[in-house]
Amino acid sequence: MSVVALSELLGATVRDATGAVRGRVREVAIAPQDHPTRIAYFIVKTADGERMLAPSAITSAGATVRAASEAAQWEIFTPSDGLLLLKRDLLDQQIIDIHGRKVVRVNDVELESTPVNSHLLIDVVAVDVGARGAIRRLSKGLVPSFTLRALLEKIPPRVIPWQFVDLLETDPARRVKLKIAYKGLAQLHPADIADIVEDLPPAEREAVFETIDEEVAAEALEEIDPDIQVSIVESLDKERVADIVEEMDPAAAADLLDELTEAQSGEILRGMEPEERREVTHLLEFGEHTAARLMTTEFVAVPETAVVDDAIEALKTFEGSREALAMIYLTGPGNKLVAAVPLVTIATSSPAAGLSQLSEPYRACAPDTPEDEVAALFDKYNLLSLAVVDEHGRIAGIITADDVITMLRHA
Amino acid sequence: MSMFKSWRARVALFLAVVGPGFITASVDNDAGGIATYSVAGAQFGYSLLWTMIPITIALVIIQEMSSRMGAVTGKGLSDLIREEFGLRATFLLMIALFVTNFFNIIGEFAGVASSFELFGVSKFIVVPLSAFVVWGIVVHGTYSTVEKVFLSASLFYVAYIVSGVLAHPDWRAAALSTLTRPDSVGFRNYGYLSMIIGLAGTTIAPWMQFYLQASIVEKGVTMRQYTASRLDVIIGCLFAAIVAWFIVVACAATLHSIGKFNIETGADAALALRPLAGDYAYLLFAAGLFNASLFAASILPISTAYAVCEGLGLESGLDKRFEEAPAFYWLYTLLIVFGAGVVLIPRFPLFRVMVLSQVANGVLLPFVLIFVLLLINDRELMGKHTNSRWYNVISWVTVGVMIVLTIAWLIAQAPW
Repeated sequence: MSVVALSELLGATVRDATGAVRGRVREVAIAPQDHPTRIAYFIVKTADGERMLAPSAITSAGATVRAASEAAQWEIFTPSDGLLLLKRDLLDQQIIDIHGRKVVRVNDVELESTPVNSHLLIDVVAVDVGARGAIRRLSKGLVPSFTLRALLEKIPPRVIPWQFVDLLETDPARRVKLKIAYKGLAQLHPADIADIVEDLPPAEREAVFETIDEEVAAEALEEIDPDIQVSIVESLDKERVADIVEEMDPAAAADLLDELTEAQSGEILRGMEPEERREVTHLLEFGEHTAARLMTTEFVAVPETAVVDDAIEALKTFEGSREALAMIYLTGPGNKLVAAVPLVTIATSSPAAGLSQLSEPYRACAPDTPEDEVAALFDKYNLLSLAVVDEHGRIAGIITADDVITMLRHA
Repeated sequence: MSMFKSWRARVALFLAVVGPGFITASVDNDAGGIATYSVAGAQFGYSLLWTMIPITIALVIIQEMSSRMGAVTGKGLSDLIREEFGLRATFLLMIALFVTNFFNIIGEFAGVASSFELFGVSKFIVVPLSAFVVWGIVVHGTYSTVEKVFLSASLFYVAYIVSGVLAHPDWRAAALSTLTRPDSVGFRNYGYLSMIIGLAGTTIAPWMQFYLQASIVEKGVTMRQYTASRLDVIIGCLFAAIVAWFIVVACAATLHSIGKFNIETGADAALALRPLAGDYAYLLFAAGLFNASLFAASILPISTAYAVCEGLGLESGLDKRFEEAPAFYWLYTLLIVFGAGVVLIPRFPLFRVMVLSQVANGVLLPFVLIFVLLLINDRELMGKHTNSRWYNVISWVTVGVMIVLTIAWLIAQAPW
């Protein structure tokens, strides 16, 4: 088993079974449909055209590639867009480093060759994004190879294992053929996805948002800079945008739609499910910097007659974010807000205790309260959450401390 | 009503993308540019004004390609060169860009120093202060605030138009020599020919292609807004050309008409203008020089740091901390500290460094322009936005002429 760099292979002389030099390595191809990491063949430039040389016919691969077969047996290469060509598609291109959560440029690719019987299996194991790969390529052919190897060993490697690499491909058809799904990216925290996407060029941003799951896309989109949000939304087709916006927090969705032209936001709203559309259009009726735009409609409310156990059941089925759980709200007839119980009190009380006996003073504001007044309330009363109550006394939503922090940071 | 509305919408659209083209073209009239235009006016009077129109056309063509490439690909020029031409070509080009821009930065700080020396303020005060301002504007501003500062600085170039008017030129003669075919006799004069080359060389500098494309990308301009963005480039180039025209005219009307030909820098020109065109013209000329130098000094270090880091795949960006992007911050800091520091060395041969910076620009320019042309005609990259056939003919001719002129100029500059 030995590691060989792509840059060493490219341009290497190829000798066939007779030992005669037959050509040079021009490209290294993977067929992701067959195997995600295995080299399918080298493309060798020979005197009569480009030919494919599979590792199953190679006895050694390094500065010289030795084949076990005669050059005449190597098949003619025909281009296909289902191939991942390491030089063209990877070397010098940008990739997403899932582990380091950033966009990086590839300096070299590390391959591992394993002898099996009398031939080789060659796999991509890592991409080199550090000085070692860069220096290897810059000094190739200028410094004797043994000096170079000794020098390179002194440089600490900066490599990304292949399983943490997500490739960028803007052509949707090719993405399918190469099985690029941004699975690694989608595992990251939405805020990290947002940071990565902001670093990408527009076409690559679009590719990511076309591909990843709507729910992940929605959460990531919420975290992205408003200007970039708009450019992403404008580039995607409106049906896809509607699917993503449906999954967004309604307040964030309303903020986004406000940035678009009326024609664009109308088209997106028409594509949404009726319930989500109603919620967002309702929010759009309030001004941009009001309590209604800060609030989330996902919170826990139980009837005022409920006991602690009921509240715990409600918590179990709650699907919103955990920041919203600082207070459990009690409602009376007509969905009117009557009281609130802190989560801590519920956790420390007996299961049969009536919630209305445990209630504590709570704060509420009207939907059209300006956001700076909301921030003042949080500051003055040291709140974790604030109820938003409409003119009929019904609870419309709640604002949590983290929403306020975000609002203040962006002000 | 709808007419008014659509007109207003169009203005709004234009204002949303104005900036990159205008700023780049304005910065082009930096300390070196002002010196060259002044010398051209002082030595040859109105007779070189005809060059303004072809130079402007060349500038528009080259800048338009850079901004189109930014709008289509969303990537900077050094990124594209890296992706299409590999690491080795990029590495060599980035070293050349770094060295060239370093000389340019020295030239800009020298301009800052000499403009304030006209007012009797020591360079030991002005230069460190300017370096600090340059560092502060960029590190503490966001893209849009910095752009507003830069756009205001661009407008300040009007100072040169005013000082041109104050010089009471012969408008008829100036207009006539701008629009008519030049007298062929001049071309047999070696000084005249090398001045033409100098004018062309100072107008199109390698850093501009990197800066313009990067700011188009940073502003998020896409092909949808491109019509407005192209207008930004064209108006910017026209404005820069008008400013250059007035500098030549101001010096022609005063210095040339009394036979004072031997000036070397913008500061010399300001000083020589004083007794001829009055205190206001002098003040405006000097203040314009300061503005232009500081403006270019603000843009060059940051744009160099970005281009080099992006090309070599190093972390870059002002939103990163120092430990996250050490190379970026080191490059940026070194360029400012040494660029400004060199100017403070006593008896430093500043004028020769300024000439050297023009030479370095000249050596690098052909390579950059050829890369630009190859990239813009890459169908895989640009899709249907590659150059049209006639546009290609014009742009290759432009680039070819620029290259020939630059090489000729380099040969003329050589000490042998």
